[in-house]
Amino acid sequence: MATVHIPSLFQQAALEVSGKKLDNLSGATVISKLGLDSVAVMELVAHFEEKLNIRMPDEDLAKVQTVADLGTLVKRLMPPGSEVTW
Amino acid sequence: MAQWNAPSLIAAIDESKGMTEKGFTFLDRDQKELFLSWDDLRTESMKRAAHLRKYGLKKGDSVAMVLPDGEDFVPTFLGAVWAGLVPVPLYPPLSLGKLDSYKDTMVSVLNKAEPTHLITLSKMQQVLWAGLTHVKSLKGVITAEELKAPAPEGVSQDPAQVTDDDLAFLQFTSGSTSTPKGVAVTHGNLRANAHAIMVDGLKTDSDVDHGVSWLPLYHDMGLIGFVIAPMFHKVQVTFIPTLAFVRQATLWLETIHRVRGTITFAPNFAYALATKRTKPEQLAKWDLSCVKAFGCGAEPINSNTMRAFVDTMSKAKLNPHALLPCYGMAEATLAISFIGLDETLSTDVIDTDAYQKHRAAEPVHVSKLTEGKAQEFVNCGKTFPGHEVGIFDDEGRRLSDRRIGEIQVRGPSIAKGYFRDAEATERTFGGGWLKTGDLGYLANGNVYIVGRKKDIIIINGRNYDPQRLEWLTDDVAGVRKGSSVAFSRPGPASEELIIVLEARTASETETEALKEAVKQRIVEQMQLSPTDVVVCPLGSLPKTSSGKLQRSKTRQQFLDGTVGKEGNRTLGSNAEKVVLARHVAMSLIGRSRHRARRVVEHALEVRSMSDALSKLRLAGDYVSTRLTRLF
Repeated sequence: MATVHIPSLFQQAALEVSGKKLDNLSGATVISKLGLDSVAVMELVAHFEEKLNIRMPDEDLAKVQTVADLGTLVKRLMPPGSEVTW
Repeated sequence: MAQWNAPSLIAAIDESKGMTEKGFTFLDRDQKELFLSWDDLRTESMKRAAHLRKYGLKKGDSVAMVLPDGEDFVPTFLGAVWAGLVPVPLYPPLSLGKLDSYKDTMVSVLNKAEPTHLITLSKMQQVLWAGLTHVKSLKGVITAEELKAPAPEGVSQDPAQVTDDDLAFLQFTSGSTSTPKGVAVTHGNLRANAHAIMVDGLKTDSDVDHGVSWLPLYHDMGLIGFVIAPMFHKVQVTFIPTLAFVRQATLWLETIHRVRGTITFAPNFAYALATKRTKPEQLAKWDLSCVKAFGCGAEPINSNTMRAFVDTMSKAKLNPHALLPCYGMAEATLAISFIGLDETLSTDVIDTDAYQKHRAAEPVHVSKLTEGKAQEFVNCGKTFPGHEVGIFDDEGRRLSDRRIGEIQVRGPSIAKGYFRDAEATERTFGGGWLKTGDLGYLANGNVYIVGRKKDIIIINGRNYDPQRLEWLTDDVAGVRKGSSVAFSRPGPASEELIIVLEARTASETETEALKEAVKQRIVEQMQLSPTDVVVCPLGSLPKTSSGKLQRSKTRQQFLDGTVGKEGNRTLGSNAEKVVLARHVAMSLIGRSRHRARRVVEHALEVRSMSDALSKLRLAGDYVSTRLTRLF
């Protein structure tokens, strides 16, 4: 059973994609306020998809605002029984 | 080698009948392929045209399209054109938030284009529709799925009859500009530019050539370059979803290698991204020797980025001649100039002093670059037969070779103007030349771009209105209102955003906090991260006599390292105040005169007696309120 902690995965992805160190991420963190440009955000999404082996539909991504929203989406897409926290 | 001479895009679709071997291939995110032959595309166009006609849409009506996937977008666009409609392609909502600002931009574009219908995917319908109640012209949404159904009975599938002067589609410029302008592209423009690109520029052979594109289809380079021009000249194309490229940049080169692509185009940032993301094992595997044109345009070209790409990809057998810097813009349909197919990327090194003081492009030795006394510009090649590029000074005098001024273009590719915007059309298209807003020079017929005259900032292939960025900056607590300037400068790989502002800060910590707050605000609203925010003392930025900040002067001071150090700007003497008052009064009178004229022009377009009466009443009311407000 997979366990995923969204803020840690997010931090790791941001570091790999844009060399950015993000601290104090929580469920309430608004992603558009993190100082990532639109290309970096999409690369980050790709990173999530690759790491978790999921596909995030574009129309769902448009509605994601916070780290918690992302967590909810990931949780929905992961195999049943996976633990997703944020 | 077959010659293709269809008189219009509709005729080009029609001559596809029976051509089942080649066409467009659409990859999805999982690399699954959907192939539509030229013949399939014709059948699909006819079917979709019939569906659209069933909704009551007829020749000349505009129809908005928000379709992220090529396999929906391309046949729908062609079907709309087949029916004589005027499609208005719009960009889909991008990922992770910002749906609100997206909707705002959409609403202002749609209110300009006034389509009666919006075509989108059923799954996007609910995301979009909620925001579109402010668009009065919209009667409903048509889903892409409906258009795929068998053609409705009893509705004509015949091609519309069009002339060169008829509108083919509206190209709204990408990015977030506060007042959207739709370039009105005619059928004649499409034929002329398709010929310029495919015949004069790329010398395509429909038996051999194969385009590969991940470019968004709502953008001129993707739509004209890889859908319309290839349809005219029957060059097969493989389309990669834009988001798939952004998620995984190497998919672009991987696909070229796999399908033996010969032609591809992308903005500068994509070359930087692809170079950065490519792994050694990919280089060892790829064979890119098939490519004859790696076109680069749509944003300022950085010669270092291009060289790094050539260096890296030489390991994948890239032919250095393949790199093809070009120049173009939506107002010229797409392409204005290309370098020759057999030419390599070349640059011109000119003396900085002569450039800044005399607007002259004096060639100097490359070594001056390292001394910081020279600047390097990429050769963007020559314009096409039947087209002409001229350089003009601010007084409208034509300049000779190696003199720097505004680049202007004329010829059959130049669009009709901006849709329903007589004022902007006159400003940009008036006098028979398209005023590009770019500064540059000609040397032996080759075009060199040195910067923007207009202040539009282009980063990652998107246009940003500096004013919008400045307004956002002004909103941040502590920033002096109306005293911030946004511009771009060439960075190590691509353009970078710089914000300069005036503020009174007490300490270093306070200054740093303010910088951070400004960065936050811009990223949050525009998904664009400023590389630097410069805080200057109050009154230190250059302004005109009417109090308008001078962007280009501020930018120059920033580049020279003197910004904020030029002493204080004060409005001291009475003489200066009189000048200012006069200026403000003149501009107010000018504006109301102009508005009044537009109202009268509008009133003259009379459809009936009651229409005439109501328009005259409106005009009267308008003029009297304006005058009361003035005096």
